[in-house]
Amino acid sequence: MGLASWLILLPFLTALAVLAVPARRPELIRWVALTGTGAHLALTAFTTLRFWQLASPDIAAAKIATLTKLYFVERVPWFKSLGVDYLVGIDGITMAMVILTSIIIFTGVLASWNVIVRTKEFFALLLVLVTGVFGVFLSFDMFLFFMFYEVAVLPMYLLIGVWGTGPKEYSAMKLTLMLMVGSAFILVGMLALYHYAGGTTFDLTQLAQHHYPVEMQRWVFPLIFIGFGVLGALYPFHTWSPDGHASAPTAVSMLHAGVLMKLGGYGALRIGVYLLPEGAQHWGLFFMALTTVNILYGAFGAIKQTDLKFFTAYSSVSHCGFVLFGVASLNLMGFKGAVLQMFSHGVMTGLFFALIGMVYGRTHTRIIPDMGGLAKVMPWLAVCFYIAGMASLGLPGFAGFVAESHVFLGGFFGNAWSDPLLTRALTVVATLSIVVTAVYVLRGLAKVFQGPITDPHFEHLTDATITEKLSTGILVVTLAVVGLVPGLLIDLIEAALLPFVNRLHATGALAVAGHP
Amino acid sequence: MLMLPELIVVATGFLLLVLDLFLTEKQRDLLVPLALAGVAVAAGALVLTPDTGVLLGGRFAMDALAWWFKLTFLLAAFLTIALTSGVLESAAPEARKLHSPGEFLTILLFNLTGMLLLASTRDLITLYVALELATIPLFLLAAWRRDALGGEAGLKYMVIGALASALLLYGFGTLYGLTGTMRLDAMPALLHADRTTLFAGALVVAGVGFKLTLVPFHMWAPEVYQGAPPPVTAWLSVASKAAGLAVLMLVGFRVFRPFLHDASFAIALLATATMTVGNLVAIVQRNILRFMAFSAISQAGYLLLGFLAGGSVGAAAMVFYLLVYAMTNLSVFAVIILHNQQTGSTQITDYRGLSQLNPLLALAMMFGLFGLAGIPPLSGFVGKFLLFSVAAQAGYHWLVGVAAVNSTVSLYYYLRIVRQMYIESPAQGAVPLKPGAMLGAALLVTTAASMLLGVVPTVYEAVRSSAAVWLQALGQ
Repeated sequence: MGLASWLILLPFLTALAVLAVPARRPELIRWVALTGTGAHLALTAFTTLRFWQLASPDIAAAKIATLTKLYFVERVPWFKSLGVDYLVGIDGITMAMVILTSIIIFTGVLASWNVIVRTKEFFALLLVLVTGVFGVFLSFDMFLFFMFYEVAVLPMYLLIGVWGTGPKEYSAMKLTLMLMVGSAFILVGMLALYHYAGGTTFDLTQLAQHHYPVEMQRWVFPLIFIGFGVLGALYPFHTWSPDGHASAPTAVSMLHAGVLMKLGGYGALRIGVYLLPEGAQHWGLFFMALTTVNILYGAFGAIKQTDLKFFTAYSSVSHCGFVLFGVASLNLMGFKGAVLQMFSHGVMTGLFFALIGMVYGRTHTRIIPDMGGLAKVMPWLAVCFYIAGMASLGLPGFAGFVAESHVFLGGFFGNAWSDPLLTRALTVVATLSIVVTAVYVLRGLAKVFQGPITDPHFEHLTDATITEKLSTGILVVTLAVVGLVPGLLIDLIEAALLPFVNRLHATGALAVAGHP
Repeated sequence: MLMLPELIVVATGFLLLVLDLFLTEKQRDLLVPLALAGVAVAAGALVLTPDTGVLLGGRFAMDALAWWFKLTFLLAAFLTIALTSGVLESAAPEARKLHSPGEFLTILLFNLTGMLLLASTRDLITLYVALELATIPLFLLAAWRRDALGGEAGLKYMVIGALASALLLYGFGTLYGLTGTMRLDAMPALLHADRTTLFAGALVVAGVGFKLTLVPFHMWAPEVYQGAPPPVTAWLSVASKAAGLAVLMLVGFRVFRPFLHDASFAIALLATATMTVGNLVAIVQRNILRFMAFSAISQAGYLLLGFLAGGSVGAAAMVFYLLVYAMTNLSVFAVIILHNQQTGSTQITDYRGLSQLNPLLALAMMFGLFGLAGIPPLSGFVGKFLLFSVAAQAGYHWLVGVAAVNSTVSLYYYLRIVRQMYIESPAQGAVPLKPGAMLGAALLVTTAASMLLGVVPTVYEAVRSSAAVWLQALGQ
């Protein structure tokens, strides 16, 4: 069994190990979970290094390739008569997403150190969910992909329903059902892709060699894009997201906003754009317009929020809009921006939700107007919060800037299949959201952390504990490293994204030489 | 040899009937193991002699798909008897006890014989007789508890069942009138695509539709499911449905095969109506048995998708899903039966906090419900996926959408039970349920089967190749 399989299997084995520990020893359960996810982080680091060595020499070849080259491929025939394989592999996008997920689950376990209700089930479900996430990122067989996709979504119901706060049953049900309707769309699209290609394989690399009729691409692409878009908080299908995030416990919010929502952008790119380039060309402008609404709607929505979690959830809707905006702009710059934004938003929002959980654990309120002056008693948390806020409004030096600049440049470059005037206009409008973001981030943070301490109860609060410092520290460092040395990540993903662009241009008469 | 399983089951039935006369109340506890042994031997005979061939001048035939149907019937019977053991034994609490275990088991076994024969029939008369044997004993079983609900269930079932039989006979009569033959295999060549053929087909579908609970022929199901003793409900929801599918496949593929393609739109509509009505009405149910009735109705809707493509892929998808559904549904019913047996309740809200009282039972029930909803990696997912794939292959992409959205709706109501079990706290004074050994074993087997069938491809591949062989024998 190779590295790719171990990356999927390790969290699952950790979940089993957690289940084997008696429930009366919560301390041991946490340590088992932390060891498992820590080992995963190490494995991910090792895989990244190996990947680097293997993939670097191939970057030049990728410039003209129309098929993504996979590394660490493992293929085992599964349902032979259907053409279903157990097919896992790694390319640059996958690698970036695996790094992100591995960091988030490790810090998520640290941030859940104080879960005391039904600890065992909590960690087991969390790890099963992450198994699903890794499975989605690593599988290159559509059947397997879909299977993992649902495994990643469903544990959310119990995680929010049992350990959540507020109207948790409602939020959990809304979230689950909306995402499942999304996956119903995906299923229709997937089966169409399978049968139009002859009904012999679900292998993405083989399906990519089949040319689908343009008519078919035009009706399947929106199904796939919207189906995944539901998870990626595509307006107007984002409504599960604020409720879900607000009700979820800390680690679940972190994972959900940090990683799970990325599955949406990832799927739209990997299945939608990759397999259906002509469908993407047809619908690109439409989805660019829709995601512009996404970006602005989320940002304006965040201004009005008084609950820190709703605040971050709306900000996530806005930032996930960037991901889909980048995908819809259909050029290399946009795609790179989309993947970078997935990474940077994942880390950033993970940090946000971790911090909110920590602040809430102390103040027992998440209502912004009720708080004030907290920086005096919890300087570490305040500084981290500010760093997350700055990253979120795109301050250079943090990952958010790199990602957003790519996305906006990508949008501005536009593509050969959409009116350049319109794509530019949309980009300009979307860029305005940065100003709005600055307004809500600065206002919100100033209210919570600065000024005099508003409530005498707050005077005796303590700063971050060692586990909290560790989890927030890791995330802050990641944000800064990617912000300062973005080349590390960009080199990783660019070679994987070039074939996507080449496929778009290879579709026929509309290829434009020298297009960005 | 070809009829060995049927003969063993009938012999066991008669043996129980006679033994019952000589046993004391206490000794009757032996009847359950005896019945189990009979069914197990029959299943063994089936597995060890997978021969194909014809008997009785071509009226009875053993073929590749009949084998799978018989296996499903025998498995379902074995598991149902195991699940019933708790309420049949003399030590069971008086209020929930099923009286006369000997007669109960005998009737169940005769019913099973009817179903086994059904899968092998090749002409209208044998088919009709087998179908009646697979139906009439169910009226008795449904009314076994002689209370108001049980009486209503039995009576309603019988009246509607008689109507269904009448429709079916009318259809068979018309077919005979059109072709002048009783043999199913001889009919396609003699039938023409005209209105009378259509009429005959519609009558047959209506008649079988009652058994398969297709909308709009599903009206009896909720009351009967609710009024019958829960183990009988389990048997009804699995075996009776399987029998319905066996008949529909016999008639659909052997008689109406040339017209299947023309009828595909009608099939699509029937499937849409069945799953949509079943799912929407299930949402508002408070009684778990009625709930399972509507759940079972919707499952029949998914099953129908297999007829759309008309090839061996469709047949294989239906048979595989039937097996998956049987295992998954029985695993859910195992918990329902146990819960009913020890609390006397059938209310969904009485499952609250089950995960804290009986973590393993709740887990098994959750897996069962997720299996019914079609969540991977459980086999329900693969089963549904195959059926949806058949619809997509036939070009019915909109129907795939309808079916997938329906699955989501079904997830909503299955999650309602999961919510009771996992999110709500146990009621005050609630005690953990204590499963008996037999029920526990049955639950373990069904849960394991419903997981493994979706991960280990062996069974599906076997069904697939059987279906291919079967269709080849039909002469494409």
